[in-house]
Amino acid sequence: MTDPQDRPRRPEADFDLPPDVPFDLRATAASGELGRRDFVRLLGASIALAGLSGCVRRPREPILPYVTRPPGATPTAARHYATSMTLDGYATGLLVESHTGRPTKIEGNPDHPASLGAAGVFEQASLLGLYDPQRARTVRFGARRSAWQAFAGELGEAPMRKAAGARGAGLHLLLEPTASPIVHELLSQVRERYPEAHVHWDAPLAGDAARIGSASAFGRPAHPVYDFTPTDIVLSFDADVLGPVPFGLRYAHDFAESRRIGSPSDRMSRLYVIETAPSVTGGMADHRLAVRPSDIPRLAAGLAARVAASTELGSVPAVPASGYDRWLDAVAADLVAHRGRAALVAGERQPAEVHAIVHLLNLALDGVGRTVRYIEPPVPAADSGTGLSALAEAIRAGSVGRLVILEGNPAYTAPPELEFARLLGGLADSAYLGLYRNETARACRWFIPGLHYLESWGDGKAWDGTVSPVQPLVDPLFGGHALIEVLAGLAGDARRPHELVREAWRTRRSAGGATSWEEAVQRGVVAGSAAPSVPVKPVGSLAAAVGRVGPDGGPASSLELMLPPSATVHDGRFANNPWLQELPDPVTKLTWGNAALLSSATASRLGVESEHLLEITSGGRSVTAPALVVPGHADGAVTLALGYGRAGGRGEGDEATAAGVGANAYLLRGAAGAAGAWAVTGIAVHPLGGSTRLAVTQDHWTMDGRPIALHATLDEYRRRPEVAPGERGRQLSLYEPKPPPELPQWAMVIDLAACTGCSACVVACQAENNVPVVGREGVLDRREMHWLRLDRYYAGTAEEPVALTQPMLCQHCEKAPCEYVCPVAATVHSPDGLNEMVYNRCVGTRFCSNNCPYKVRRFNWFNYNAEVSETERLAKNPDVTVRARGVMEKCTFCVQRIREAEITAELEGRPVRRGEVRTACQQACPTQAITFGSLADPGDDVTRLRDHPRAYEVLHELGTEPRVRYLARITNPNPRLTPPRA
Amino acid sequence: MTAGAAAAIPRERTAGSHPLMVGRPGDATLTDRLLAPLLRAPRGWGWLLLLSGLGALAMFGAMGYTVARGIGVWGNNIPVAWAFAIINFVWWIGIGHAGTFISAFLLLLNQRWRASVNRVAEAMTLFALTNAAMFPLLHLGRPWFFYWLLPYPTRFGIWPQFRSALPWDAAAVATYFTVSLLFWYLGLVPDLASARDRLPGRLRRRIYGVLALGWRGGARQWREYRMGYLLLAGLATPLVISVHSIVSLDFAIAQLPGWHSTIFPPYFVVGAIYSGFAMVLLLVIPIRRLYGLEDLITTRHLDNMAKLLLAMGWLMAYAYIVEAFVAWYGGSLYERYALLVARPLGPYAWLFWLMIACNVLTPQLFWSARLRTRTPVLVGGSLLILAGMWLERFVIIVASLNRDFLPSSWHIYKPTWVDLTILGGSISFFVFLFLLFVRFAPFIPISELRELRHELAGGERAP
Repeated sequence: MTDPQDRPRRPEADFDLPPDVPFDLRATAASGELGRRDFVRLLGASIALAGLSGCVRRPREPILPYVTRPPGATPTAARHYATSMTLDGYATGLLVESHTGRPTKIEGNPDHPASLGAAGVFEQASLLGLYDPQRARTVRFGARRSAWQAFAGELGEAPMRKAAGARGAGLHLLLEPTASPIVHELLSQVRERYPEAHVHWDAPLAGDAARIGSASAFGRPAHPVYDFTPTDIVLSFDADVLGPVPFGLRYAHDFAESRRIGSPSDRMSRLYVIETAPSVTGGMADHRLAVRPSDIPRLAAGLAARVAASTELGSVPAVPASGYDRWLDAVAADLVAHRGRAALVAGERQPAEVHAIVHLLNLALDGVGRTVRYIEPPVPAADSGTGLSALAEAIRAGSVGRLVILEGNPAYTAPPELEFARLLGGLADSAYLGLYRNETARACRWFIPGLHYLESWGDGKAWDGTVSPVQPLVDPLFGGHALIEVLAGLAGDARRPHELVREAWRTRRSAGGATSWEEAVQRGVVAGSAAPSVPVKPVGSLAAAVGRVGPDGGPASSLELMLPPSATVHDGRFANNPWLQELPDPVTKLTWGNAALLSSATASRLGVESEHLLEITSGGRSVTAPALVVPGHADGAVTLALGYGRAGGRGEGDEATAAGVGANAYLLRGAAGAAGAWAVTGIAVHPLGGSTRLAVTQDHWTMDGRPIALHATLDEYRRRPEVAPGERGRQLSLYEPKPPPELPQWAMVIDLAACTGCSACVVACQAENNVPVVGREGVLDRREMHWLRLDRYYAGTAEEPVALTQPMLCQHCEKAPCEYVCPVAATVHSPDGLNEMVYNRCVGTRFCSNNCPYKVRRFNWFNYNAEVSETERLAKNPDVTVRARGVMEKCTFCVQRIREAEITAELEGRPVRRGEVRTACQQACPTQAITFGSLADPGDDVTRLRDHPRAYEVLHELGTEPRVRYLARITNPNPRLTPPRA
Repeated sequence: MTAGAAAAIPRERTAGSHPLMVGRPGDATLTDRLLAPLLRAPRGWGWLLLLSGLGALAMFGAMGYTVARGIGVWGNNIPVAWAFAIINFVWWIGIGHAGTFISAFLLLLNQRWRASVNRVAEAMTLFALTNAAMFPLLHLGRPWFFYWLLPYPTRFGIWPQFRSALPWDAAAVATYFTVSLLFWYLGLVPDLASARDRLPGRLRRRIYGVLALGWRGGARQWREYRMGYLLLAGLATPLVISVHSIVSLDFAIAQLPGWHSTIFPPYFVVGAIYSGFAMVLLLVIPIRRLYGLEDLITTRHLDNMAKLLLAMGWLMAYAYIVEAFVAWYGGSLYERYALLVARPLGPYAWLFWLMIACNVLTPQLFWSARLRTRTPVLVGGSLLILAGMWLERFVIIVASLNRDFLPSSWHIYKPTWVDLTILGGSISFFVFLFLLFVRFAPFIPISELRELRHELAGGERAP
């Protein structure tokens, strides 16, 4: 027996230094020399603390949690931090949930005008991008490993003078257009130091058309901010305003508000969309015109002439738009009849004249100040001659001494005629900062690993000018350096990013800003910082704008090519994100790649079917892509999404996930700013004879007369509000219904009239519930794991199909067919009405899936989570079990959130409050199409909506008594365009 | 011997044009002839054993691969979560039914012609069940927890969920296997004793001696043996009906169109016996040829079984018609689509029509008395019927699942190489086991044939 005094004490118990201090420092500080006992003690302590903190570290600087809890997301162990993500130059405010120092879920910031609490697919999926193990970690000079200090030294006075001259004439910077104030402030510091330096702006999705259009209409660049809430009529010219565009979440919210029909007498807006390939917005249209890209300006002109004829705009030359006269007449009359409550929107891909026409018509129809306001563009106007082509010219002319590219991937996205990658490779002194060692990184001499926005300090501006800070949630996982760090280095400013942003903020505040830095960082938004409206008056005439409309694309036999960004991987920057690669396209349901979208008429003219390989040739370059026939696509046009066909190997920093997925549509793109950037005329399309399989998650697009996704017109709804009579409620049964226990009875109602199919809910569910990714092969084998999927059906005629999107998740049937067939009672019913899945009891007979009429159950065919990298595991939600191989899983109604709310309520000695539990899908939904609550509460929205006249149960006939009900979609067609249905 | 049996014999003899036994060999000759295969393998036996053994090894390899990696190596998906494993299970268990039908059902019905084929049929049952029993285990996502389907006392305090058909299925198959094994072995005991007594070689005698369980052939032993055998037959007979009825409930209790049908239990039992008889014919014909047993397994036997195939074939046709009629008459949108559109016209239509051709058209050959005794026709017909019955399970399982309620989830199913290896391997394994059986066990019941010979001779002596 040893004396108790001599027993070694628990090492962690007497270790009182803060964990932030590195161990080696503490050890030497404590004793100067390490004794054996100290060594063992430290060893134990480091193991214990390593277990506590995981492998992520908090940022060095103090970061501030969001103090007021967002509704429904009551943090106990989790904390929420406000930050914002900038995409396409504009910021969206976010709340990031963090467990023990690791961000696990991204949600919208309810205080931020671009979010209002919702989050889009890119924002939410960017979480996985943070943890991507393929991110670059090493500073490189050529192929050699180097160090940041070496690069920072290069930015010093002497090397700069040598490379770019004393006044920086040879210094060229290339950035993505951004509204971030700190970036512009640092750039002006750089310019102060090097007055002759050149700053170039380029992003594949940025164009000047909107700016030029508004300038020609109003004499000044004006940036439109729409408010769809009060609109009666919205007309979109190829503008995917409800889709993944800046401010799209807010627009979707406002649009849904303009047609939220609680009762038949409610107001409902009407949406007209003119576009080529079906989009999310097109899917919501009451009338949709699918035309070739070259026809859209002509239709805008035709409409302008008609509106002008009935307003005081004066005469406008008529542009022939044969075949569409009836349509245009009806739309023009509708617009004029709703003066002051109509909004016209031009898409970013439209030429300047369409923007000009739209702006002038908005003004003429009294929309300005009501449905649209104009502000000073949040992204400052670039000087002329600062684009990518100017840079390419400078490289050719040999006047580039040193080029610094900060983010973006121009070697991949540049129009091929610039031969930018080749020019870049020929430069002796070039540097690139980015998250991956991508195409551009390989062409540059220096490569600096960049930072994810969740690791960096910064700021941003939303589409409406609202300022929001960017605060990191973790210390950089893979090293890396912030964009502003490089800019500060160039400006000779030695401060760290945190200081830079904070000091700039304080300077601005002393100049009149109201919000303190701490408050802004806590709230994630500077309240009331939206840009003020600027007055606009017509400078250019409508007639002049119409006069600039070009000729159409020639005979109908010639094909046009449309090059939109991908709805899931955007311009290619998210191509390495498995969540986004596996997210089905909202329209085509295609995952892991792109395809040449065609109408069935065009396909049969070419003699091809879906999955046949096509060779698309333009300007001597050709790209091979599989065909995919899409209902509602314009005839005479082919659509191929940008962002795929990435290059990359398997080395450190290579985008191995993205490599080789899909076809690179950038190869077919015309010069930036030219019309060919988005739509290419005169392409040649040849079937190659072979075929490839497309990883599409849905094979059948009609409902075969089954009552699944129901819809009615507004007229029908007003005449007979009960849209789906007899499609809800109890079926005849031999058994007396059992009264439910005195507990909350959870239920959900999904409004199909509000659902746009944007897919934010799908990613939200994936992130919240640790849903694994199965890869292209898995999707081809139909083994995707999404607990919530968006089914898409087409009703109506082949010429004018009505697209219906239906979120499909576990219906939590009160008489669940899955439960009684499970031999081991692994799926059971909870007293509060959930259909529960007991993973560790499941033996995997899959009988439950066979008997599920909704086919929402997902099976772990392999051990999917075994393949998840160490870093990506950090993204897992600790409140949700990670499922092993061989078990079934499915939507749980976010049971972890329900239980968390119950525990909190219990601790506080109160019942669970109404609206306290919000499911992940509901929270992410920008249009609030999903309502969740307890049926035991007669005042809950869900109780009221469950018996709404539009409410119905899918497959009601089977008597499963689902806890999920749907509200039938209501469309609001123009009676002049639709013969009334008998 | 009961009086009823004696009375039946003359009628039997005169009823068919083919005799039950050609010639009247003496007891000793009969015994020696029937024990001869235990001494020496026929030509090619070794090669066949090697080939089928390799096939069986391939199957076990594929199974090991499945267990190591997961069910994902199969072609199954959502919606088609069940496919080859369940098809193979139902198919094999169906084949097993003919053995019990012949040995127990026909014994109770005093069908004396069963005597020379019943041992082969029983062995077939056992081996088919061995094959069948592997699949429900293998198809589990976590096969190592298969015992959770059994009602065993556990500290979890949790039972199987008895509303599901699957625990009953496990119980039914286990019962069936046990009874079949006992029945088969009990029948073997007197013949094992003959082998012990008459075969040369010390080792052989010792082994057969142990297996014969001390059988002496005394009158008292015979009396009790008879009683036990009859009781076991009485136990096994309801199992012929119940086991496949329960298997059919694996489908019928679901609400899936194409599964959700009250006709399933009798339909499955008939189908099981149908495929079983086809398999018996397929086994018996080469055996009688290889071992020169045409005088014991006579054309009478073949003729009888072909008649049974014809009758069963018509019952199947009836079931198919009723299934489709009820779908139409029931008026459910989904049932009508599944049975009247998806099956005859859907992606698996060609398999459906192939199944109809195999199961309904093939047995029509057996209207002809001449064709009923032509062995090439019988072998070909049996093969087609076996293929047809496998296809029937494919059509029921896969073609129902792949197009259910929501068109958004419809998806085609395609097997992978693992699926095909396991199916081919399980047939090899069956052949492998059967080859061992005919080599090492008396596959024609010697004592029963001796008894039959006496009965026949008695009938001849006393008209």
